[in-house]
Amino acid sequence: MTRNGPVALFFHTLVVLFMLAPLVIVCLVAFTPENTLSLPTRGLSLRWFEAVFHHPDFVQSFWNSLWLALLSATLAVALAVPASLAITRWEFPGRGFLNGLFLSPLIIPHLVLGVAMLRLFALVGATGSFGWLVAAHIVIVTPYVMRLLIAAITGFDRSVEHAAYSLGASEATVFRRVTLPMILPGVTGGWLIAFINSFDELTMSIFITSPSTVTLPVRMYMYATESIDPMMAAVSAIIIGITVVAVLLLDRVYGLDRILVGQK
Amino acid sequence: MSFLELRDITKRYGTLNAVSDVTLSVEKGEFVSLLGPSGCGKTTTLQMIAGFVDVTAGSIRLDGRDITHAKANSRGLGIVFQSYALFPHMTVYDNVSFGLEMQRVPKSDRKDRVEEALGLVHLSAYAGRYPRELSGGQRQRVALARAIVIRPPVLLLDEPLSNLDAKLREAMQFELRDIQRKVGTTTVMVTHDQAEAFSISDRVVVMEAGRITQIDEPYRIYEHPETEFISRFVGKTNMLPGTVQTVNGGYASVSLAGVPVEVEAPGVALGETLTLCIRPEKLRLAGAGQGRLPGRVSVRYFLGSQWLYHIDGPLGTLMAVTPNDGSAPLDVDMPVGIDWSPSVVRVHRGVMAEAPDPALEAE
Repeated sequence: MTRNGPVALFFHTLVVLFMLAPLVIVCLVAFTPENTLSLPTRGLSLRWFEAVFHHPDFVQSFWNSLWLALLSATLAVALAVPASLAITRWEFPGRGFLNGLFLSPLIIPHLVLGVAMLRLFALVGATGSFGWLVAAHIVIVTPYVMRLLIAAITGFDRSVEHAAYSLGASEATVFRRVTLPMILPGVTGGWLIAFINSFDELTMSIFITSPSTVTLPVRMYMYATESIDPMMAAVSAIIIGITVVAVLLLDRVYGLDRILVGQK
Repeated sequence: MSFLELRDITKRYGTLNAVSDVTLSVEKGEFVSLLGPSGCGKTTTLQMIAGFVDVTAGSIRLDGRDITHAKANSRGLGIVFQSYALFPHMTVYDNVSFGLEMQRVPKSDRKDRVEEALGLVHLSAYAGRYPRELSGGQRQRVALARAIVIRPPVLLLDEPLSNLDAKLREAMQFELRDIQRKVGTTTVMVTHDQAEAFSISDRVVVMEAGRITQIDEPYRIYEHPETEFISRFVGKTNMLPGTVQTVNGGYASVSLAGVPVEVEAPGVALGETLTLCIRPEKLRLAGAGQGRLPGRVSVRYFLGSQWLYHIDGPLGTLMAVTPNDGSAPLDVDMPVGIDWSPSVVRVHRGVMAEAPDPALEAE
């Protein structure tokens, strides 16, 4: 292995700083005792964390977002696995069209999608329905899952599946015991990216959430348009904290390398 | 009736015939190789036996049962793939055990049989490893163990040794044959490497452009190639074009650049063009002025157990191989006489194209 030279080390440090600085600053600001978004200079305070829990609508929105992201990511993966297998492996009429259709939400601005979905929801009388919100999010996150899965399946040596067939495995068994484990990094990576994209989505959700289904990003946006105080930083810090704990747990239990990189 | 019978099997892709009317009978316990350059249809034939490729026409029978359209997972054949195709997320033990699991062999029996198979390929100590932690030769042996542990009626090997380096390949050839003898499994191997096919097969099937051109014992194929293609593809050959001068019963006198040579060639006509094929190791190098043709050493290669000479003469450059008997070799530019005994000459009618390099042809 080659070692980094001083210039490279300096550059890498800058990159890491650039990426981490906003997160660190937000977390620090969350502990300020002041009424403005400022770095805590006169001691630390938990008052803004306390404030979050005095806003039950924030807690409700957090659960909305969590369920929304869990459901849409999981359903998107369930849709994308067979779709990617079909698109990658078989030649059939409409294959190119289908591939384009699955990827189009990536190209269409979320603003446009939001307006379109708003009209659709109104037409079918689905305004305020959580189920339809999940459906809209699936549309947005599926392309990400598809991209990762198609990459994973393209590099797949099919003779491994043939070997399993020849040993007497049924098609279902081959999928469960061989194909799925081998594309697992693509599946889990796709699920994570889908989850993050759904949890984070603001532009489209603004149009199609109703008071009972408001997601956390929408709630924060609405709050921030009225007043800016360090409670926003506290909410962010809580989310960052939850993410860090989740990633650490995942790494401890399964090993992140195994999930995301695979066992090559 | 033979154990494995292919009758007139054909595979057509659109208008292209990948395999045409292949008929082959393999006896129980036999080791048969399909030999030919890439694109000759040998792998497609193997995949039709395995059930991965649909047969367009013809039939395949295994032990009296028609399996032409049986599903791949109901044939019970053992297959070793060129890429080994091990399950990367399973240990060596689980890889080998997979087929037994599919056959619902009880767990305790499974353990014994997996251990027996791993012992056969000398990998007992590696049961807990993952394929990525093994060398190429070890992976190859895991693939073999995985295929034979299910006690298949037929073992199919698809270029099993082509990903190994030369030395390991040679060792594995003999090991493969050794294991096949011990287990007694009927085996069909696909290869483009004639040395591999010759050294371990009972019979070799030479394929060209989707068709079988000769089925014979390795020795017979080398000494009595039935087509021009085979004599060019199998080993090196000197090809000497000449014209028939006189015909006398089954014999003819052929003029090679003015030198008359008697050959056994029944049914040829006066003035007809023949090609005399002589293997390099059958040419004898004598002193200058002796032998049938004059020549001069232009290059020499030391091959360890042999010397390979290129001899320039009136018929162009000929190749001659002599055993390294410990004495000093011939020097470059030394004049020599080229001789051969009449029985080693194979006669082909007509002019043959320049021999391509078999090594280049192979890939």
